[in-house]
Amino acid sequence: MPYIEIEERKVEVNEEGFLTHPQEWTEETAKFLAKAEEGLEELTPEHWAVVKFIRDYYLEKNLAPMVRKICQATGFPLMKIYDLFPSGPAKGACKVAGLPKPDGCV
Amino acid sequence: MRRRKAGPSGVVEAPLDVRSQVQAREEGLLSVAKGRLKTYEPGDNVRKFLDLLGRRVSRPLAVSLTACVHCGLCAESCHYFLARPHDPTMTPVWKADQIRKIFKRYVDWTGRVVPWWVKAGSVHDDEDLNRLKNIVFGTCSACRRCSYNCPMGVDTALLVRFTRGLLTELGIVPEGVFNVSRDQWETGNQMAVTETDYLETLGWMRDELRTELGTDTVEIPVDRPDCEVLYTINPREIKFDPRSIAHAAKIFHVAGESWTLPKWGWDQTNFGLFSGDDKLGAFVARNVYEAAERLRAKRIVISECGHGYRSTRWEGYTWADFDQKRPTESVVITLKRYLEEGRIAVDPGRNTEPVTFHDSCNIARSGDLVEEPREVLARVCADFREMFPNRRENFCCTGGGGLLSMAEYRPLRLEVAKIKADQLRATGAKLVCTMCHNCVDGLNDVIKHYKLPMRVVQVLELVANALVVPEKSSR
Repeated sequence: MPYIEIEERKVEVNEEGFLTHPQEWTEETAKFLAKAEEGLEELTPEHWAVVKFIRDYYLEKNLAPMVRKICQATGFPLMKIYDLFPSGPAKGACKVAGLPKPDGCV
Repeated sequence: MRRRKAGPSGVVEAPLDVRSQVQAREEGLLSVAKGRLKTYEPGDNVRKFLDLLGRRVSRPLAVSLTACVHCGLCAESCHYFLARPHDPTMTPVWKADQIRKIFKRYVDWTGRVVPWWVKAGSVHDDEDLNRLKNIVFGTCSACRRCSYNCPMGVDTALLVRFTRGLLTELGIVPEGVFNVSRDQWETGNQMAVTETDYLETLGWMRDELRTELGTDTVEIPVDRPDCEVLYTINPREIKFDPRSIAHAAKIFHVAGESWTLPKWGWDQTNFGLFSGDDKLGAFVARNVYEAAERLRAKRIVISECGHGYRSTRWEGYTWADFDQKRPTESVVITLKRYLEEGRIAVDPGRNTEPVTFHDSCNIARSGDLVEEPREVLARVCADFREMFPNRRENFCCTGGGGLLSMAEYRPLRLEVAKIKADQLRATGAKLVCTMCHNCVDGLNDVIKHYKLPMRVVQVLELVANALVVPEKSSR
Protein backbone atom coordinates (compact mmCIF):
# COMPACT_ATOMS: atom_id res chain seq x y z
CA MET A 1 0.00 0.00 0.00
CA PRO A 2 1.28 3.49 -0.80
CA TYR A 3 1.64 5.92 2.08
CA ILE A 4 2.35 9.56 2.75
CA GLU A 5 4.65 10.85 5.45
CA ILE A 6 3.48 13.63 7.74
CA GLU A 7 5.80 14.78 10.52
CA GLU A 8 7.59 11.43 10.49
CA ARG A 9 4.31 9.56 10.77
CA LYS A 10 3.32 7.18 8.01
CA VAL A 11 -0.28 7.47 6.84
CA GLU A 12 -1.63 4.84 4.50
CA VAL A 13 -3.50 6.04 1.41
CA ASN A 14 -5.08 4.18 -1.49
CA GLU A 15 -3.89 4.34 -5.10
CA GLU A 16 -5.89 7.48 -5.64
CA GLY A 17 -4.53 9.30 -2.62
CA PHE A 18 -7.61 8.85 -0.38
CA LEU A 19 -6.86 7.87 3.23
CA THR A 20 -7.19 4.13 3.83
CA HIS A 21 -8.11 4.66 7.47
CA PRO A 22 -10.17 7.87 7.77
CA GLN A 23 -9.71 7.91 11.55
CA GLU A 24 -6.02 8.72 11.05
CA TRP A 25 -6.91 12.17 9.75
CA THR A 26 -5.48 15.23 11.48
CA GLU A 27 -5.38 18.90 10.51
CA GLU A 28 -1.79 18.37 9.41
CA THR A 29 -2.98 15.61 7.09
CA ALA A 30 -5.48 18.02 5.56
CA LYS A 31 -2.77 20.60 4.93
CA PHE A 32 -0.52 18.00 3.37
CA LEU A 33 -3.24 16.57 1.11
CA ALA A 34 -4.40 20.04 0.09
CA LYS A 35 -0.90 20.90 -1.07
CA ALA A 36 -0.07 17.57 -2.69
CA GLU A 37 -3.39 16.85 -4.35
CA GLU A 38 -4.98 20.25 -4.93
CA GLY A 39 -1.93 22.50 -5.14
CA LEU A 40 -3.22 24.67 -2.29
CA GLU A 41 -0.36 26.31 -0.43
CA GLU A 42 -2.56 27.42 2.39
CA LEU A 43 -5.97 26.50 3.74
CA THR A 44 -8.06 29.60 4.37
CA PRO A 45 -10.93 29.73 6.92
CA GLU A 46 -13.26 29.17 3.95
CA HIS A 47 -11.46 25.93 3.07
CA TRP A 48 -11.64 24.83 6.70
CA ALA A 49 -15.36 25.54 6.87
CA VAL A 50 -15.93 23.11 3.99
CA VAL A 51 -13.46 20.50 5.26
CA LYS A 52 -14.77 20.55 8.84
CA PHE A 53 -18.38 20.22 7.72
CA ILE A 54 -17.56 17.23 5.47
CA ARG A 55 -15.54 15.66 8.26
CA ASP A 56 -18.28 16.04 10.88
CA TYR A 57 -20.95 14.82 8.49
CA TYR A 58 -18.88 11.76 7.66
CA LEU A 59 -18.16 10.93 11.30
CA GLU A 60 -21.85 11.16 12.09
CA LYS A 61 -23.34 9.37 9.07
CA ASN A 62 -20.42 7.38 7.62
CA LEU A 63 -21.25 8.94 4.26
CA ALA A 64 -19.91 11.71 2.05
CA PRO A 65 -22.35 14.65 2.08
CA MET A 66 -24.09 15.80 -1.07
CA VAL A 67 -22.74 19.05 -2.43
CA ARG A 68 -26.14 20.57 -1.59
CA LYS A 69 -25.52 19.93 2.10
CA ILE A 70 -22.04 21.44 1.90
CA CYS A 71 -23.41 24.62 0.34
CA GLN A 72 -26.28 24.83 2.84
CA ALA A 73 -24.01 24.43 5.84
CA THR A 74 -21.31 26.84 4.71
CA GLY A 75 -23.54 29.28 2.88
CA PHE A 76 -21.29 29.20 -0.19
CA PRO A 77 -22.73 29.16 -3.70
CA LEU A 78 -21.96 26.07 -5.81
CA MET A 79 -19.25 27.69 -7.91
CA LYS A 80 -17.39 28.75 -4.77
CA ILE A 81 -16.75 25.10 -3.90
CA TYR A 82 -15.02 24.62 -7.27
CA ASP A 83 -13.00 27.80 -6.72
CA LEU A 84 -11.85 26.52 -3.33
CA PHE A 85 -11.16 22.95 -4.44
CA PRO A 86 -10.24 22.70 -8.14
CA SER A 87 -10.92 18.93 -8.27
CA GLY A 88 -14.45 19.50 -7.01
CA PRO A 89 -16.30 18.31 -3.92
CA ALA A 90 -15.68 14.56 -4.37
CA LYS A 91 -12.08 14.26 -5.47
CA GLY A 92 -10.97 17.53 -3.90
CA ALA A 93 -12.78 18.47 -0.72
CA CYS A 94 -13.66 14.95 0.44
CA LYS A 95 -10.06 13.83 -0.07
CA VAL A 96 -8.67 16.71 1.98
CA ALA A 97 -11.24 15.97 4.69
CA GLY A 98 -9.81 12.45 4.92
CA LEU A 99 -12.81 10.53 3.62
CA PRO A 100 -12.37 7.23 1.79
CA LYS A 101 -12.94 7.30 -1.98
CA PRO A 102 -16.63 7.81 -2.77
CA ASP A 103 -18.22 4.94 -4.72
CA GLY A 104 -19.34 5.16 -8.32
CA CYS A 105 -18.45 7.18 -11.41
CA VAL A 106 -16.18 9.67 -9.66
CA MET B 1 -33.38 -17.88 -10.30
CA ARG B 2 -34.54 -20.56 -12.68
CA ARG B 3 -32.64 -20.87 -15.93
CA ARG B 4 -33.47 -22.79 -19.05
CA LYS B 5 -31.01 -25.54 -19.88
CA ALA B 6 -28.80 -25.22 -22.92
CA GLY B 7 -30.46 -26.49 -26.11
CA PRO B 8 -29.15 -29.24 -28.36
CA SER B 9 -26.98 -26.76 -30.25
CA GLY B 10 -25.26 -26.40 -26.95
CA VAL B 11 -25.22 -22.75 -26.35
CA VAL B 12 -27.97 -20.18 -25.85
CA GLU B 13 -28.92 -19.20 -22.33
CA ALA B 14 -32.57 -18.41 -21.61
CA PRO B 15 -33.55 -14.74 -21.66
CA LEU B 16 -34.50 -13.10 -18.41
CA ASP B 17 -37.81 -14.12 -16.91
CA VAL B 18 -40.69 -11.77 -17.48
CA ARG B 19 -41.20 -10.41 -14.00
CA SER B 20 -42.32 -7.21 -12.40
CA GLN B 21 -39.70 -4.75 -11.23
CA VAL B 22 -40.84 -5.25 -7.64
CA GLN B 23 -40.11 -8.95 -7.83
CA ALA B 24 -36.80 -8.31 -9.55
CA ARG B 25 -35.79 -5.89 -6.85
CA GLU B 26 -36.84 -8.21 -4.04
CA GLU B 27 -34.71 -10.93 -5.52
CA GLY B 28 -31.88 -8.52 -6.15
CA LEU B 29 -31.98 -7.19 -2.59
CA LEU B 30 -32.02 -10.68 -1.22
CA SER B 31 -29.06 -11.51 -3.37
CA VAL B 32 -27.23 -8.53 -1.87
CA ALA B 33 -28.01 -9.68 1.65
CA LYS B 34 -27.11 -13.30 1.44
CA GLY B 35 -26.70 -14.72 -1.97
CA ARG B 36 -25.69 -14.13 -5.49
CA LEU B 37 -24.22 -10.67 -5.20
CA LYS B 38 -21.54 -10.85 -2.56
CA THR B 39 -17.94 -10.23 -1.78
CA TYR B 40 -15.42 -12.98 -1.97
CA GLU B 41 -15.53 -16.03 0.24
CA PRO B 42 -13.45 -19.17 -0.26
CA GLY B 43 -15.24 -22.31 -1.32
CA ASP B 44 -16.11 -24.43 -4.28
CA ASN B 45 -15.60 -21.56 -6.68
CA VAL B 46 -13.80 -23.33 -9.53
CA ARG B 47 -16.59 -25.88 -9.97
CA LYS B 48 -19.23 -23.14 -9.91
CA PHE B 49 -17.23 -21.08 -12.38
CA LEU B 50 -16.93 -23.92 -14.88
CA ASP B 51 -20.58 -24.79 -14.43
CA LEU B 52 -21.68 -21.21 -15.16
CA LEU B 53 -19.31 -20.98 -18.11
CA GLY B 54 -20.77 -24.10 -19.68
CA ARG B 55 -24.32 -22.84 -19.35
CA ARG B 56 -23.78 -19.29 -20.50
CA VAL B 57 -21.85 -19.41 -23.74
CA SER B 58 -24.12 -17.84 -26.35
CA ARG B 59 -23.77 -17.77 -30.14
CA PRO B 60 -21.99 -14.41 -30.37
CA LEU B 61 -19.68 -15.50 -27.57
CA ALA B 62 -18.95 -18.80 -29.27
CA VAL B 63 -17.96 -16.91 -32.44
CA SER B 64 -15.59 -14.66 -30.50
CA LEU B 65 -14.19 -17.65 -28.66
CA THR B 66 -13.45 -19.70 -31.76
CA ALA B 67 -12.83 -17.27 -34.64
CA CYS B 68 -9.52 -15.80 -33.42
CA VAL B 69 -6.59 -16.63 -35.73
CA HIS B 70 -3.99 -14.93 -33.51
CA CYS B 71 -2.98 -12.43 -36.20
CA GLY B 72 -2.06 -9.80 -33.61
CA LEU B 73 -3.86 -6.83 -35.15
CA CYS B 74 -5.70 -6.24 -31.89
CA ALA B 75 -2.42 -5.50 -30.15
CA GLU B 76 -1.91 -2.36 -32.20
CA SER B 77 -5.40 -1.18 -31.25
CA CYS B 78 -4.95 -1.49 -27.52
CA HIS B 79 -3.64 1.45 -25.49
CA TYR B 80 -2.39 -0.98 -22.84
CA PHE B 81 -0.11 -2.70 -25.34
CA LEU B 82 0.91 0.50 -27.14
CA ALA B 83 2.09 1.92 -23.84
CA ARG B 84 3.83 -1.34 -22.84
CA PRO B 85 4.98 -2.75 -26.19
CA HIS B 86 7.28 -5.35 -24.64
CA ASP B 87 4.63 -6.95 -22.49
CA PRO B 88 2.65 -9.67 -24.33
CA THR B 89 0.16 -9.94 -21.46
CA MET B 90 -1.10 -6.50 -22.44
CA THR B 91 -2.39 -7.66 -25.83
CA PRO B 92 -6.16 -8.18 -26.13
CA VAL B 93 -5.57 -11.62 -27.62
CA TRP B 94 -3.63 -12.79 -24.54
CA LYS B 95 -6.35 -11.48 -22.23
CA ALA B 96 -9.04 -13.20 -24.31
CA ASP B 97 -7.00 -16.40 -24.44
CA GLN B 98 -7.21 -16.71 -20.65
CA ILE B 99 -10.94 -17.40 -20.96
CA ARG B 100 -10.65 -18.99 -24.40
CA LYS B 101 -8.42 -21.79 -23.14
CA ILE B 102 -10.99 -22.74 -20.49
CA PHE B 103 -13.75 -22.73 -23.09
CA LYS B 104 -11.62 -24.97 -25.33
CA ARG B 105 -10.95 -27.37 -22.49
CA TYR B 106 -14.55 -27.75 -21.27
CA VAL B 107 -16.95 -26.74 -24.04
CA ASP B 108 -15.37 -26.83 -27.51
CA TRP B 109 -14.81 -30.25 -29.09
CA THR B 110 -11.36 -29.29 -30.41
CA GLY B 111 -10.07 -28.96 -26.87
CA ARG B 112 -11.37 -32.37 -25.96
CA VAL B 113 -9.77 -34.04 -28.99
CA VAL B 114 -6.51 -32.14 -29.39
CA PRO B 115 -6.07 -30.06 -26.23
CA TRP B 116 -2.30 -29.54 -26.72
CA TRP B 117 -2.86 -28.20 -30.23
CA VAL B 118 -5.56 -25.65 -29.40
CA LYS B 119 -3.85 -24.74 -26.11
CA ALA B 120 -6.73 -25.78 -23.90
CA GLY B 121 -6.27 -25.03 -20.21
CA SER B 122 -8.12 -24.64 -16.96
CA VAL B 123 -8.38 -22.83 -13.66
CA HIS B 124 -7.43 -24.89 -10.64
CA ASP B 125 -8.01 -22.85 -7.52
CA ASP B 126 -9.23 -19.54 -6.17
CA GLU B 127 -5.86 -17.99 -6.84
CA ASP B 128 -6.32 -18.69 -10.56
CA LEU B 129 -9.76 -17.12 -10.45
CA ASN B 130 -8.38 -14.10 -8.67
CA ARG B 131 -5.70 -13.79 -11.33
CA LEU B 132 -8.44 -13.94 -13.95
CA LYS B 133 -10.26 -11.16 -12.09
CA ASN B 134 -7.19 -8.95 -12.22
CA ILE B 135 -6.94 -9.54 -15.96
CA VAL B 136 -10.56 -8.88 -16.95
CA PHE B 137 -11.20 -6.04 -14.50
CA GLY B 138 -7.74 -4.56 -14.22
CA THR B 139 -6.10 -4.68 -17.65
CA CYS B 140 -8.98 -3.85 -19.98
CA SER B 141 -11.22 -0.81 -20.07
CA ALA B 142 -13.63 -2.67 -22.40
CA CYS B 143 -13.26 0.15 -24.91
CA ARG B 144 -13.81 -2.24 -27.88
CA ARG B 145 -11.14 -0.61 -30.03
CA CYS B 146 -9.66 -4.07 -30.65
CA SER B 147 -13.10 -5.47 -31.45
CA TYR B 148 -13.62 -2.70 -33.98
CA ASN B 149 -10.31 -3.45 -35.68
CA CYS B 150 -10.48 -7.25 -35.64
CA PRO B 151 -10.64 -8.68 -39.18
CA MET B 152 -12.33 -11.83 -37.86
CA GLY B 153 -15.02 -9.97 -35.94
CA VAL B 154 -13.83 -11.19 -32.55
CA ASP B 155 -15.34 -9.05 -29.80
CA THR B 156 -12.73 -9.27 -27.05
CA ALA B 157 -14.61 -6.78 -24.88
CA LEU B 158 -17.64 -9.07 -25.01
CA LEU B 159 -15.47 -11.93 -23.71
CA VAL B 160 -14.14 -9.67 -20.98
CA ARG B 161 -17.65 -8.68 -19.92
CA PHE B 162 -18.77 -12.30 -20.01
CA THR B 163 -15.89 -13.36 -17.77
CA ARG B 164 -16.56 -10.45 -15.42
CA GLY B 165 -20.15 -11.64 -15.16
CA LEU B 166 -19.09 -15.16 -14.15
CA LEU B 167 -16.70 -13.84 -11.52
CA THR B 168 -19.24 -11.31 -10.21
CA GLU B 169 -21.67 -14.14 -9.61
CA LEU B 170 -19.03 -15.85 -7.46
CA GLY B 171 -18.28 -12.70 -5.52
CA ILE B 172 -14.80 -12.45 -7.04
CA VAL B 173 -15.25 -8.80 -7.88
CA PRO B 174 -13.44 -5.54 -7.06
CA GLU B 175 -14.86 -3.85 -4.00
CA GLY B 176 -15.80 -0.68 -5.87
CA VAL B 177 -17.92 -2.59 -8.36
CA PHE B 178 -19.62 -4.51 -5.57
CA ASN B 179 -20.46 -1.34 -3.63
CA VAL B 180 -22.02 0.39 -6.62
CA SER B 181 -24.00 -2.70 -7.63
CA ARG B 182 -25.34 -2.98 -4.10
CA ASP B 183 -26.37 0.69 -4.11
CA GLN B 184 -28.15 0.31 -7.44
CA TRP B 185 -30.15 -2.65 -6.16
CA GLU B 186 -30.95 -1.02 -2.84
CA THR B 187 -31.70 2.56 -3.82
CA GLY B 188 -32.25 2.44 -7.59
CA ASN B 189 -29.26 4.72 -8.13
CA GLN B 190 -25.54 4.14 -8.01
CA MET B 191 -24.70 6.70 -5.31
CA ALA B 192 -27.46 5.86 -2.82
CA VAL B 193 -29.06 9.30 -3.11
CA THR B 194 -32.30 9.46 -1.13
CA GLU B 195 -35.50 10.79 -2.66
CA THR B 196 -35.50 13.76 -0.30
CA ASP B 197 -31.95 14.72 -1.24
CA TYR B 198 -32.75 14.26 -4.92
CA LEU B 199 -35.78 16.54 -4.80
CA GLU B 200 -34.01 19.10 -2.68
CA THR B 201 -31.04 19.36 -5.02
CA LEU B 202 -33.36 19.82 -8.00
CA GLY B 203 -35.23 22.56 -6.11
CA TRP B 204 -31.95 24.23 -5.29
CA MET B 205 -30.85 24.25 -8.93
CA ARG B 206 -34.25 25.65 -9.94
CA ASP B 207 -33.88 28.51 -7.45
CA GLU B 208 -30.34 29.27 -8.63
CA LEU B 209 -31.56 29.35 -12.21
CA ARG B 210 -34.46 31.64 -11.32
CA THR B 211 -32.02 34.06 -9.78
CA GLU B 212 -29.70 33.84 -12.78
CA LEU B 213 -32.42 34.44 -15.37
CA GLY B 214 -34.45 36.81 -13.20
CA THR B 215 -37.75 35.00 -13.73
CA ASP B 216 -40.00 32.71 -11.75
CA THR B 217 -41.15 30.82 -14.82
CA VAL B 218 -38.13 28.48 -14.87
CA GLU B 219 -38.97 25.02 -13.60
CA ILE B 220 -37.30 21.66 -12.99
CA PRO B 221 -40.41 19.48 -13.00
CA VAL B 222 -40.49 16.07 -11.34
CA ASP B 223 -42.96 13.33 -12.24
CA ARG B 224 -45.05 15.52 -14.55
CA PRO B 225 -47.13 13.34 -16.86
CA ASP B 226 -47.53 13.61 -20.65
CA CYS B 227 -44.34 15.53 -21.34
CA GLU B 228 -42.38 15.46 -24.58
CA VAL B 229 -39.10 14.63 -22.83
CA LEU B 230 -38.29 12.38 -19.88
CA TYR B 231 -34.84 13.49 -18.79
CA THR B 232 -32.65 10.94 -17.02
CA ILE B 233 -29.31 11.66 -15.38
CA ASN B 234 -26.17 10.32 -13.75
CA PRO B 235 -26.37 10.31 -9.90
CA ARG B 236 -23.03 12.06 -9.85
CA GLU B 237 -24.86 15.12 -11.19
CA ILE B 238 -27.12 15.14 -8.13
CA LYS B 239 -24.57 14.23 -5.52
CA PHE B 240 -21.46 16.16 -6.51
CA ASP B 241 -21.92 18.29 -9.59
CA PRO B 242 -25.44 19.58 -10.27
CA ARG B 243 -24.17 22.31 -12.62
CA SER B 244 -25.00 20.12 -15.60
CA ILE B 245 -28.63 19.80 -14.46
CA ALA B 246 -28.87 23.58 -14.32
CA HIS B 247 -27.36 23.83 -17.82
CA ALA B 248 -29.88 21.36 -19.21
CA ALA B 249 -32.79 23.06 -17.43
CA LYS B 250 -31.72 26.45 -18.77
CA ILE B 251 -31.62 25.16 -22.34
CA PHE B 252 -34.94 23.30 -22.01
CA HIS B 253 -36.49 26.49 -20.63
CA VAL B 254 -35.27 28.67 -23.48
CA ALA B 255 -36.28 26.05 -26.06
CA GLY B 256 -39.76 25.95 -24.53
CA GLU B 257 -39.56 22.19 -24.03
CA SER B 258 -42.16 20.27 -22.06
CA TRP B 259 -39.95 18.04 -19.94
CA THR B 260 -39.71 16.27 -16.62
CA LEU B 261 -37.45 14.15 -14.46
CA PRO B 262 -38.96 11.04 -12.90
CA LYS B 263 -39.10 10.55 -9.13
CA TRP B 264 -37.99 6.94 -9.54
CA GLY B 265 -36.02 5.60 -12.48
CA TRP B 266 -33.94 8.75 -12.97
CA ASP B 267 -30.56 6.96 -12.92
CA GLN B 268 -29.60 6.06 -16.49
CA THR B 269 -26.18 4.69 -15.50
CA ASN B 270 -25.89 0.96 -15.22
CA PHE B 271 -23.16 -1.02 -13.47
CA GLY B 272 -24.60 -4.18 -14.98
CA LEU B 273 -22.67 -3.20 -18.11
CA PHE B 274 -19.38 -3.13 -16.20
CA SER B 275 -19.86 -6.08 -13.87
CA GLY B 276 -21.33 -8.32 -16.57
CA ASP B 277 -24.43 -8.86 -14.41
CA ASP B 278 -27.35 -8.92 -16.87
CA LYS B 279 -29.92 -9.06 -14.08
CA LEU B 280 -28.75 -5.79 -12.60
CA GLY B 281 -28.58 -4.39 -16.13
CA ALA B 282 -32.20 -5.39 -16.69
CA PHE B 283 -33.40 -3.94 -13.38
CA VAL B 284 -31.79 -0.53 -13.83
CA ALA B 285 -32.68 -0.11 -17.51
CA ARG B 286 -36.25 -1.17 -16.86
CA ASN B 287 -36.60 1.42 -14.09
CA VAL B 288 -36.05 4.07 -16.75
CA TYR B 289 -38.34 2.50 -19.35
CA GLU B 290 -41.12 2.05 -16.81
CA ALA B 291 -40.78 5.65 -15.65
CA ALA B 292 -41.36 6.80 -19.23
CA GLU B 293 -44.35 4.49 -19.53
CA ARG B 294 -45.82 5.59 -16.22
CA LEU B 295 -45.51 9.28 -17.08
CA ARG B 296 -46.50 8.74 -20.74
CA ALA B 297 -43.45 10.69 -21.92
CA LYS B 298 -42.92 10.85 -25.69
CA ARG B 299 -39.21 10.17 -25.58
CA ILE B 300 -36.40 9.34 -23.15
CA VAL B 301 -33.48 11.74 -23.17
CA ILE B 302 -30.22 10.60 -21.59
CA SER B 303 -27.81 13.17 -20.13
CA GLU B 304 -24.17 13.12 -21.19
CA CYS B 305 -22.99 9.69 -20.03
CA GLY B 306 -21.20 7.09 -22.12
CA HIS B 307 -22.03 3.78 -20.49
CA GLY B 308 -25.46 5.08 -19.51
CA TYR B 309 -26.18 5.87 -23.14
CA ARG B 310 -25.05 2.46 -24.29
CA SER B 311 -26.96 0.68 -21.51
CA THR B 312 -30.20 2.62 -21.84
CA ARG B 313 -30.24 3.14 -25.60
CA TRP B 314 -28.85 -0.21 -26.76
CA GLU B 315 -28.05 -3.02 -24.36
CA GLY B 316 -30.98 -2.33 -22.00
CA TYR B 317 -33.47 -3.15 -24.75
CA THR B 318 -32.21 -6.73 -24.69
CA TRP B 319 -31.59 -7.07 -20.96
CA ALA B 320 -34.85 -5.58 -19.68
CA ASP B 321 -37.21 -7.82 -21.61
CA PHE B 322 -39.54 -4.84 -21.83
CA ASP B 323 -41.56 -3.71 -24.80
CA GLN B 324 -39.56 -0.52 -25.13
CA LYS B 325 -40.89 1.39 -28.13
CA ARG B 326 -40.18 4.97 -27.13
CA PRO B 327 -37.37 6.76 -28.90
CA THR B 328 -34.35 7.00 -26.63
CA GLU B 329 -31.74 9.62 -27.40
CA SER B 330 -28.73 11.38 -26.01
CA VAL B 331 -29.27 14.98 -24.93
CA VAL B 332 -26.75 15.95 -27.62
CA ILE B 333 -29.24 14.83 -30.29
CA THR B 334 -31.87 16.96 -28.57
CA LEU B 335 -29.52 19.95 -28.62
CA LYS B 336 -28.79 19.39 -32.29
CA ARG B 337 -32.52 19.38 -33.03
CA TYR B 338 -33.03 22.65 -31.13
CA LEU B 339 -30.24 24.27 -33.13
CA GLU B 340 -31.57 22.99 -36.45
CA GLU B 341 -35.13 24.02 -35.70
CA GLY B 342 -34.01 27.41 -34.45
CA ARG B 343 -35.50 26.84 -31.00
CA ILE B 344 -32.34 28.15 -29.36
CA ALA B 345 -29.89 30.78 -30.55
CA VAL B 346 -26.20 30.53 -29.78
CA ASP B 347 -23.19 32.80 -30.03
CA PRO B 348 -19.94 30.89 -30.71
CA GLY B 349 -18.05 34.08 -29.80
CA ARG B 350 -18.60 33.19 -26.13
CA ASN B 351 -16.50 30.01 -26.42
CA THR B 352 -13.28 31.34 -27.89
CA GLU B 353 -10.74 28.95 -26.34
CA PRO B 354 -9.57 26.17 -28.68
CA VAL B 355 -11.69 23.05 -28.10
CA THR B 356 -11.03 19.45 -29.06
CA PHE B 357 -13.51 16.58 -28.82
CA HIS B 358 -12.94 13.24 -27.11
CA ASP B 359 -15.24 10.50 -28.43
CA SER B 360 -16.45 8.30 -25.61
CA CYS B 361 -15.98 4.60 -26.47
CA ASN B 362 -19.49 3.66 -25.44
CA ILE B 363 -20.99 6.49 -27.45
CA ALA B 364 -18.93 6.51 -30.67
CA ARG B 365 -17.68 2.94 -31.08
CA SER B 366 -20.51 1.11 -29.34
CA GLY B 367 -23.29 3.67 -29.73
CA ASP B 368 -22.68 4.96 -33.27
CA LEU B 369 -23.16 8.56 -32.24
CA VAL B 370 -20.29 10.31 -34.00
CA GLU B 371 -21.14 13.31 -36.16
CA GLU B 372 -23.94 14.79 -34.05
CA PRO B 373 -21.75 16.19 -31.25
CA ARG B 374 -19.42 17.66 -33.86
CA GLU B 375 -22.30 19.44 -35.56
CA VAL B 376 -23.34 20.93 -32.22
CA LEU B 377 -19.79 21.97 -31.34
CA ALA B 378 -19.34 23.59 -34.76
CA ARG B 379 -22.25 25.87 -33.89
CA VAL B 380 -21.19 26.82 -30.36
CA CYS B 381 -17.36 27.03 -30.48
CA ALA B 382 -15.17 29.48 -32.35
CA ASP B 383 -12.08 27.25 -32.57
CA PHE B 384 -12.67 23.50 -32.91
CA ARG B 385 -9.82 21.03 -33.50
CA GLU B 386 -10.00 17.30 -34.05
CA MET B 387 -7.68 15.01 -32.13
CA PHE B 388 -6.13 12.06 -33.94
CA PRO B 389 -7.17 9.29 -34.17
CA ASN B 390 -10.78 10.31 -33.67
CA ARG B 391 -14.39 9.18 -34.02
CA ARG B 392 -14.73 5.38 -33.82
CA GLU B 393 -10.94 5.00 -33.71
CA ASN B 394 -10.45 7.25 -30.70
CA PHE B 395 -8.51 5.97 -27.69
CA CYS B 396 -10.27 5.40 -24.37
CA CYS B 397 -10.02 8.06 -21.63
CA THR B 398 -8.49 5.10 -19.71
CA GLY B 399 -11.23 5.25 -17.07
CA GLY B 400 -13.79 3.20 -19.01
CA GLY B 401 -15.27 -0.19 -18.19
CA GLY B 402 -15.84 0.83 -14.57
CA LEU B 403 -12.09 1.29 -13.96
CA LEU B 404 -12.71 4.64 -12.28
CA SER B 405 -14.40 2.87 -9.41
CA MET B 406 -11.56 0.35 -8.98
CA ALA B 407 -8.74 2.24 -7.28
CA GLU B 408 -6.54 -0.87 -7.09
CA TYR B 409 -5.88 -0.76 -10.85
CA ARG B 410 -5.15 2.95 -11.02
CA PRO B 411 -1.33 2.82 -11.27
CA LEU B 412 -1.43 0.71 -14.45
CA ARG B 413 -4.28 2.80 -15.82
CA LEU B 414 -2.26 5.99 -15.43
CA GLU B 415 0.84 4.38 -16.88
CA VAL B 416 -0.92 3.39 -20.10
CA ALA B 417 -2.67 6.76 -20.19
CA LYS B 418 0.53 7.97 -21.83
CA ILE B 419 -1.16 7.26 -25.18
CA LYS B 420 -4.12 9.46 -24.30
CA ALA B 421 -1.88 12.18 -22.90
CA ASP B 422 0.17 12.35 -26.12
CA GLN B 423 -3.01 12.50 -28.15
CA LEU B 424 -4.43 15.34 -26.04
CA ARG B 425 -1.19 17.30 -25.99
CA ALA B 426 -0.86 17.19 -29.78
CA THR B 427 -4.15 19.04 -30.28
CA GLY B 428 -2.86 22.18 -28.59
CA ALA B 429 -6.41 22.78 -27.35
CA LYS B 430 -7.18 24.41 -24.02
CA LEU B 431 -10.48 22.60 -23.57
CA VAL B 432 -11.27 18.97 -24.18
CA CYS B 433 -14.98 18.37 -24.61
CA THR B 434 -16.59 15.00 -24.02
CA MET B 435 -20.15 13.78 -23.66
CA CYS B 436 -19.48 11.30 -20.85
CA HIS B 437 -19.20 11.90 -17.09
CA ASN B 438 -16.90 8.93 -16.74
CA CYS B 439 -14.57 10.37 -19.39
CA VAL B 440 -14.60 13.71 -17.53
CA ASP B 441 -13.00 12.07 -14.51
CA GLY B 442 -10.82 9.77 -16.61
CA LEU B 443 -9.46 12.72 -18.61
CA ASN B 444 -9.06 14.83 -15.48
CA ASP B 445 -6.84 12.09 -14.04
CA VAL B 446 -4.76 12.01 -17.24
CA ILE B 447 -4.46 15.81 -17.32
CA LYS B 448 -3.39 15.95 -13.67
CA HIS B 449 -0.95 13.06 -13.92
CA TYR B 450 0.73 14.24 -17.13
CA LYS B 451 0.42 17.94 -16.22
CA LEU B 452 -1.38 18.99 -19.39
CA PRO B 453 -2.53 22.62 -19.68
CA MET B 454 -6.16 21.66 -20.36
CA ARG B 455 -9.59 21.61 -18.80
CA VAL B 456 -12.42 19.14 -19.42
CA VAL B 457 -15.86 20.43 -20.41
CA GLN B 458 -19.07 18.85 -21.63
CA VAL B 459 -21.32 19.68 -24.56
CA LEU B 460 -24.11 21.00 -22.31
CA GLU B 461 -21.73 23.40 -20.61
CA LEU B 462 -20.48 24.84 -23.91
CA VAL B 463 -24.01 25.15 -25.30
CA ALA B 464 -25.33 26.75 -22.10
CA ASN B 465 -22.40 29.15 -22.20
CA ALA B 466 -23.09 30.15 -25.80
CA LEU B 467 -26.85 30.30 -25.30
CA VAL B 468 -28.44 33.65 -26.14
CA VAL B 469 -31.30 34.09 -23.68
CA PRO B 470 -34.06 36.08 -25.40
CA GLU B 471 -35.79 38.90 -23.48
CA LYS B 472 -39.12 37.10 -23.23
CA SER B 473 -37.70 34.02 -21.47
CA SER B 474 -35.86 36.00 -18.90
CA ARG B 475 -38.77 38.21 -18.00
